[in-house]
Amino acid sequence: MNNQLNRRDFLKLVSLLPIGLSAPRVLRTLGISGSAQGQSKNVIVIVFDAFSAYDISLYGYTRQTTPNIDRLANRAVVYHNHFSGGNFTTPGTASLLTGVLPWTHRALNLNDKVIEPYVEKNIFSAFKDYYRIAYSHNRYANTFLKQFRNNLDELIPRESLLLESYDSFISTLFSNDDDIASISWVRSMQVNEEGSAYSLFLSHLYESLQDRKIEKLKPFFPRGLPTVSSIDPYLLETAVDAVKKRLTEIPQPFMGYFHFMPPHHPYRTSREFFNAFKGDGFKPIEKPIDILARKVNKDQPRVRTEYDEFILYSDKEFGRLYSYLESSGLLENTWLVLTSDHGEMFERGITGHGSKVLYQPVVRIPLLIFEPGQQSRKDIYEYTSAVDLLPTLTHLTGQKDPAWAEGSVLPPFAGTAQNPSRSLYMVQAIDNPSNAPLTQASTVLVRENYKLHYYFGYPELSSGEQVKLFDIKSDPEELVDLYSSKKETASELLNELKRKLVDVNKPYI
Amino acid sequence: MARLIAQRYSKQGLGALFLTCAFPLHFWALLLAFRDISWLTERTNLWDAIGVVSYGLLFAFVESVMIFLVFVLVGISIPLPWSSGRRIAFLGLLVLLVSIWGIISQLLFLWNGSLPAQAIQFLRSSSHPLRILYAASLVVVIPTIFLPVYLFVRSKRSVAFMQDLMERFSLLTMFYLFFDAIGLIIVIIRNIN
Repeated sequence: MNNQLNRRDFLKLVSLLPIGLSAPRVLRTLGISGSAQGQSKNVIVIVFDAFSAYDISLYGYTRQTTPNIDRLANRAVVYHNHFSGGNFTTPGTASLLTGVLPWTHRALNLNDKVIEPYVEKNIFSAFKDYYRIAYSHNRYANTFLKQFRNNLDELIPRESLLLESYDSFISTLFSNDDDIASISWVRSMQVNEEGSAYSLFLSHLYESLQDRKIEKLKPFFPRGLPTVSSIDPYLLETAVDAVKKRLTEIPQPFMGYFHFMPPHHPYRTSREFFNAFKGDGFKPIEKPIDILARKVNKDQPRVRTEYDEFILYSDKEFGRLYSYLESSGLLENTWLVLTSDHGEMFERGITGHGSKVLYQPVVRIPLLIFEPGQQSRKDIYEYTSAVDLLPTLTHLTGQKDPAWAEGSVLPPFAGTAQNPSRSLYMVQAIDNPSNAPLTQASTVLVRENYKLHYYFGYPELSSGEQVKLFDIKSDPEELVDLYSSKKETASELLNELKRKLVDVNKPYI
Repeated sequence: MARLIAQRYSKQGLGALFLTCAFPLHFWALLLAFRDISWLTERTNLWDAIGVVSYGLLFAFVESVMIFLVFVLVGISIPLPWSSGRRIAFLGLLVLLVSIWGIISQLLFLWNGSLPAQAIQFLRSSSHPLRILYAASLVVVIPTIFLPVYLFVRSKRSVAFMQDLMERFSLLTMFYLFFDAIGLIIVIIRNIN
């Protein structure tokens, strides 16, 4: 048989080459990608920033903060002991997106990016045949989306879903450094919470212009409009509507990641939920002031109430998004995930997140997975981690197993029972250089029902380190430190954690 | 417009006025930015904190140019017979007075200052609290503007005094502009990555 092509055959083949090259894109645009014809389902990941499981009624919080999520949970897999990778946006989001822990992806400080290998190893690169779309209100989460842009078909510009403001030109003008330029703009132009602005005159002009623009919306938000980092006002309704619209336009199958700001600080709920919990007699459990609490906030009950009321706002919008996905039929063909990047705390003298502690409220986050067509609820009480989400989603959609991921497929989808002795880790190292061994950090190891806190390198700690052990099944509030009474267990867990630290530090020594 | 400006100002005078405008704006921006450094380094890293300060200086420079242009326009309304030197000295005085009030208003925020309880009670009970507040502000602010202006117009030594003061400030502002140049370089480096 003559295998050589003659000139005519060669030209025929060459003429087909452009069609061959453009076919996947064309088919995708038409919504008939090869895999979509089969059983490839869409994936939507919804992240509400700083959404603590501790303050969610679905997980037993006494205030009814999530009536919609509670109702919709009857059609979902509900994870009751799900942990974030860190305690603020940068490490938490990076772990969610890359499937590895902060000490591996090394986005440890506030505005960090993940290290080079993970630019091509993330949730978007894992869904190569999908139409990948993403959006984030939060500028630090957006840093990662921009870093992963090569693996995204569409990155919705952050400013496009904020209320029109005078700040967007800063991001445009300094597009390669828009985070820091925007922070400086905020510090220059806005009379901020700390008290003042760098600019003597323009700050007043700026404020009055901003006020005029949002004047009409003010009555709907008695505590002021929700904002990102004290500027950039937004409405969650607008963002949800835009996402809804876009999801019906883009080709399937799609992988969508949408990171919304609420209920992140500032806690400015809508008029509908304003004062919903005021004077309701809620009394949080008293806990001792932590040695690592820097500035004790004596007004925590009020701040917490405002946070809880802001959760109501997020819950309502999630309910609205869910209803739309359901009525449009998208839900029949879509895995929907609801989670967060980290929690929030109002106890032990510490308010918010990003502090040096890793107590439950700041690391235990919601996770609900809505299977296409699911009509019943399944509760999972095993301990699970944010790094499990990526391998789970690839497993569920038949994508290639992300070999780099440190997590494992979540129950009940794994098919086999989860290893009961599995260790989960959480890391906070905001003051530690990202490219250096961890010498000042807070780490946690969760195994079986024990949670070991190991904090080291902080000047506040007289011995240079602090170790605490809690049984989070019998003592979920972490009130009884078992470090002295369960020395053997504590020592075993501490040794394991220290061995792990030696391993993760090796590349940086 | 160019003719109007040329009639009223010398190039040297405009330079001195710009430096006078830039002085309080940079002084305040640097004061606040350095006060912020620890807040910033806690939340980012030193390089990002330096970035924030650099952008802050850049914004202060732009603000200085804008304020300078406003005062140049204000100066056009000053009677033509005034010499360029006197005009610049007078504008310099206005810049400094307005800046002092700008700083005071910012300090009220910074120190979380508020009115005495009795005054707040009085305002609450009145039917036009905002009008009363504006009127009270004018009662305080206007004399502090008009008295120096009156003294400037009446006194023969005032021009020399203001020129001397502006010269001293100008020297300091040159340092600030040097920081601006460094800030600009840092901003460029950060944006070419």
